[in-house]
Amino acid sequence: MMSINIVAYKCKKCGRVHFPFHDRCLACKSREFEEIAPKGNAKLLTYTTIFNLPWGFDQRFLIIGIAEFENGVKAMGQVDAQSVEGLKLGMKVRPNWASVRQQHGEDIYGLKFEPIE
Amino acid sequence: MRDVAIIGVGMIPFGRRDEDSLMDLLAYASLKALDDAGLGDKSVNAVYVGNMGGGIIQHQTAIASSLVDRLSLLPAAAETVENGPASGGSAVKNGLLAVASGYYDYVLVVGGEKMREVTGWKATDFVSTMTHPEVEYPYGVTLPGMAGMFTRLYMEKYGVTREHLTAVAIKNQDMGALNPYAHVEMSISREGILDSPHSVVNNPPVADPLHLYDACPVSDGAAAVILCPLEIAKKTGKPPVLIAGFGQATDTHTLQERDDPTDLKAVSLAAKQAFEMAKLKPADIHVAELHDAFTILEIAESEHVGFFKKGEGAIAALAGKTKLGGQIPINVSGGLKARGHPVGATGVAQVVEITFQLRHELPKNRQVKGAENGLTVNFGGFGNNVLAFVLRRVQQ
Repeated sequence: MMSINIVAYKCKKCGRVHFPFHDRCLACKSREFEEIAPKGNAKLLTYTTIFNLPWGFDQRFLIIGIAEFENGVKAMGQVDAQSVEGLKLGMKVRPNWASVRQQHGEDIYGLKFEPIE
Repeated sequence: MRDVAIIGVGMIPFGRRDEDSLMDLLAYASLKALDDAGLGDKSVNAVYVGNMGGGIIQHQTAIASSLVDRLSLLPAAAETVENGPASGGSAVKNGLLAVASGYYDYVLVVGGEKMREVTGWKATDFVSTMTHPEVEYPYGVTLPGMAGMFTRLYMEKYGVTREHLTAVAIKNQDMGALNPYAHVEMSISREGILDSPHSVVNNPPVADPLHLYDACPVSDGAAAVILCPLEIAKKTGKPPVLIAGFGQATDTHTLQERDDPTDLKAVSLAAKQAFEMAKLKPADIHVAELHDAFTILEIAESEHVGFFKKGEGAIAALAGKTKLGGQIPINVSGGLKARGHPVGATGVAQVVEITFQLRHELPKNRQVKGAENGLTVNFGGFGNNVLAFVLRRVQQ
């Protein structure tokens, strides 16, 4: 199992968690952050099936979602499911780090959320 | 600051225009606006071109420099304004501020896009380049995908259903069928896209819960306006239309970093600024062009600008309150949904449509009777850069 290769940024002054990186805190404008890793499983906040994919994806459809990790990091990723039947808002998903697309024959890695309930 | 008026507008029919280049589209709309303003062979001081994709789709940059040369507007100042799908609105804003400041008297603003010369895959990828390059784009997310995720949350929070979305689609396609500038001039029925077994084939999902007829088409097109100080405009023949209010606001790049992703803060703020500057309220508006790239956005924006309370926009749409003759007619042009969405053109096309309305020069089946005040909302990114304009008919 590959580890989740994501760095999130917790503001040292007010504690707001950012992902992706910002040069100044969205809440208090501080410039000092603690680097944190997303922790544990995640909660699926929203999702959709995209049927008209952009150039570079040779498949019929793709399920995309946004999930929140146990330590508050929120991130977009692909959802590892064959359809949205069975998915629901707020359900638990297991984050995996896997190939999300190919470019020039090389795998590009990213988040894949696996439904676990 | 000087009051700024619109003295000329021009637009070409949106759609698939294989025979025309991007420069053709921009030139045709510009010439129509110059003629409408009665400028004849005269020049303008400055030109602002709203365009998002020339560099990517046409492999052409510095488009404004090329346009002034083609139109023989030299040595007018010229620049291209790129701000995603809000490029057109941003170009209008630049023209407005340039005239208001007193620096220029006559400004041409033109927005245009030619998206149909590449495949749907390439066009979808081009539009997706406005998503976050590291944490969104690599996953294959598209703008319909963002809208799908937003719609799922909006439905859950406010009880919006496909029936509500369908009401918006039917209204806008009905109006587009009456607009000679529209990309899709075709009415649709509820049976055809929602109720009958055929609807499954006619109206497949594009990004659930959104379906094909919830989304705008990919279009070619251009629209232009000529701006000048109100005092000069009053001496021309046509009823001057004052840009009475303007607002612009931004929000987080990614949807995931918004505390409440159903709250389109930039829409609320831009509209609030525009209303304050115009000294008008939402209830004073007689006609509005809202950025319905997806049916859900017309509903959400109608709430965020203050026409309806949160959660009541969908009910109002279903009850016909946003139709021509209703409480607040929205997208009488057909909106992005039917007029089409050549991304850089849209913000200017909205201003052109409201100018037609406030001059009272549309045929009866399209004219909002006696309209004095209009609103436009041009929505960039997925709500991360939004412009609003309040336009007012000036009595001569």
